[in-house]
Amino acid sequence: MTAGRIINGSEIPDLSSVEVDFVVVGSGAGGATAAAVLTAAGAQVALLEEGGHYTRRDFNMQESWAYPALYQEHGNRATDDLSILILQGRSVGGGTTVNWTSSFRTPERTLALWASRHGLRGLDAATLAPHFEMVEKRIDVGSGDPDDVNNNNRKLREGAAKLGWQPELIHRSVKGCARLGYCGMGCPLDAKRSSRTTFLADAVAGGANVYADCRATLIETDRGRARAVVAEVLDRATDRPRGRFVAYARRGVVLAGGAINTPALLLRSKAGIDGGRVGRRTFLHPTVPLIAFYDQPIEGFYGPPQSVAVHHFADRGERVGYFFETAPIHPMLAALAFPGFGDTHRKIVEQLPYAQATIALLIDGHHDDEGGTVEAARDGRIKLSYPLSAPLHEAAVSALGDMARLQLAAGAREVMTLHETPLVIRSEADLGAIAAAPFGPNRHTLFSAHQMGGAAMGGDPARSVVDARGRHHQLENLWITDGSIFPTSLGVNPQLSIYAHAHLFATGIAKAG
Amino acid sequence: MPAPVEKARPDAREGAIDRRRFLKRGLFGGALLVGAGSLPFVFRTTRRGDAPRAPLQLLSADEYAVFAAVTARIVPGDGADASWPRAEALDCAGKVDALMATVHPEVGRDFRRLLRLIESGFLGALTAGSPRPFTRASAAEQDARLEAWRRSRFALLRSGYQAVKRLADAAYYSSPEVYPLVGYPGPPLVPQLPPATGTP
Repeated sequence: MTAGRIINGSEIPDLSSVEVDFVVVGSGAGGATAAAVLTAAGAQVALLEEGGHYTRRDFNMQESWAYPALYQEHGNRATDDLSILILQGRSVGGGTTVNWTSSFRTPERTLALWASRHGLRGLDAATLAPHFEMVEKRIDVGSGDPDDVNNNNRKLREGAAKLGWQPELIHRSVKGCARLGYCGMGCPLDAKRSSRTTFLADAVAGGANVYADCRATLIETDRGRARAVVAEVLDRATDRPRGRFVAYARRGVVLAGGAINTPALLLRSKAGIDGGRVGRRTFLHPTVPLIAFYDQPIEGFYGPPQSVAVHHFADRGERVGYFFETAPIHPMLAALAFPGFGDTHRKIVEQLPYAQATIALLIDGHHDDEGGTVEAARDGRIKLSYPLSAPLHEAAVSALGDMARLQLAAGAREVMTLHETPLVIRSEADLGAIAAAPFGPNRHTLFSAHQMGGAAMGGDPARSVVDARGRHHQLENLWITDGSIFPTSLGVNPQLSIYAHAHLFATGIAKAG
Repeated sequence: MPAPVEKARPDAREGAIDRRRFLKRGLFGGALLVGAGSLPFVFRTTRRGDAPRAPLQLLSADEYAVFAAVTARIVPGDGADASWPRAEALDCAGKVDALMATVHPEVGRDFRRLLRLIESGFLGALTAGSPRPFTRASAAEQDARLEAWRRSRFALLRSGYQAVKRLADAAYYSSPEVYPLVGYPGPPLVPQLPPATGTP
């Protein structure tokens, strides 16, 4: 078969169209994997990607370029009240272009919860295992390398070890990593095994065409079948529509635009939304950072961003669990997270090289909390709401205390919370102030790099959107292969799980479609 | 280095307003961004500072002036030594204008409405006892107004503060001129390797 290629928006004539076997929306972990498997099975595939096509020669490691170019809404995505910053990729390669490479299999505990509480049958660890193996091989997931641990992560490991909280080395999807520390801005060495360098490359080599700068705006349906995907072709410089492009699907449509865009696309298209489950139960692993300052330089801007994880508090019984990792510390992202303004703020940013950032990711959706909602607003915007419910509030405050304890154990000179009026903690005696400090929307920095749910898998069509193989309950030839299928948050970084579920589903789609 | 932290104050005294005024403002708060459209004369008295370096893509000259004035207070200011560049020197407002011209048009409109609210002397009087347009208020008054929004009980004002704070900080701290001042040596040098085969 002739190889396909990646076509830029500027090359796509207005009102043009293609007809293929499968139209895939999104080129991240879910879309690229589906495209690769379908192409390998002999199907003709067209893949639409809203973002631009960039290669390692574009990745200049400057935040001023990377966030506008490689993130949703030019780095401005957030919940509707701006209380949770949403870091979500948007370019050829999707989230995998900017992912921090942390690779975990879906925890068995989470799979068991989906079976017991969400009626999901036939999706257990044994079923997924061969797909995890295939994916891990293709994206070069390693086994955890102690040499990957930079100072930022070393402090997390040391603190956790001292307290008996069992730090683990993170498995990373890299090959020939030079440990630069710029995963979140695109890897200038292609050492990170993004989808662009793996499954998308396979799909293109097998004949798939990738249409960059194409934002899917409408799924056309006809008698319970998806017939076509209509897209706006965007001008890359202005991000404004410059034309229209239609991809007709002979056999099926695969949605993989991510857990915010996929539900919004279904809602906007009024396609398969009976029952009101689309855009509900959106989970974010709401992420609470805590900063510690050390006497020695940490230089959290260099080295692999994440190499150590602590899951000691993942299961807190009746209470919402959380896990700890680190976040890289580059000037712009740090300045955004640090509270205050003017000279108060400057005095914090000046300590950048001495700062260590531990983050707590709250495991939402495993209890009675319902997460957030995605809506397609009438003015064309996507509206994401995420009220921090009482159980999550409790978990966030508890996590702050545990992180502070950990940082003190690791030898921090002082710990500084990111409340709008920061607390300074120098000893265990100061920990009591955390519970009393105001915590709520825009009173404390929160972000999310993990978007999940909104089009959940489930056995009961009245309570879920797709079945245990990603097929839509209402549209027989439409599948979803991105993070929106997860009935709850995962409790681990989701990228590898998205790859593996997409791989499993696509194997079925190739036979069924 | 000493801890650069303000002393915690009880939340209940934020903005130092009494309960009755709070209730009044509570009714007002929800409709704030919508109501901003009905403040048509706000920009009549706006003081324009340095002219934009390039033609503006989203903001009007008055809106640009408001954002530039806000940015000047958000980024390092009076206490910082002269090695810290001024926001104008880094063209922060120009960079934000260019960025916000590429976001969803409705987000751009909200941003412009927000700048109108910030400039409003009416709102300034209500939140911080500062009745002049933001661009004509003293530095201390401007800080008090930003502080009132930052610590407000009203979610909408806190959101508004975060919107301008983050945009100003993003433009300023992503500028290589600032890297040495925050102890960041910048990205490492990476030799450009020949293109890999098999990668699109």
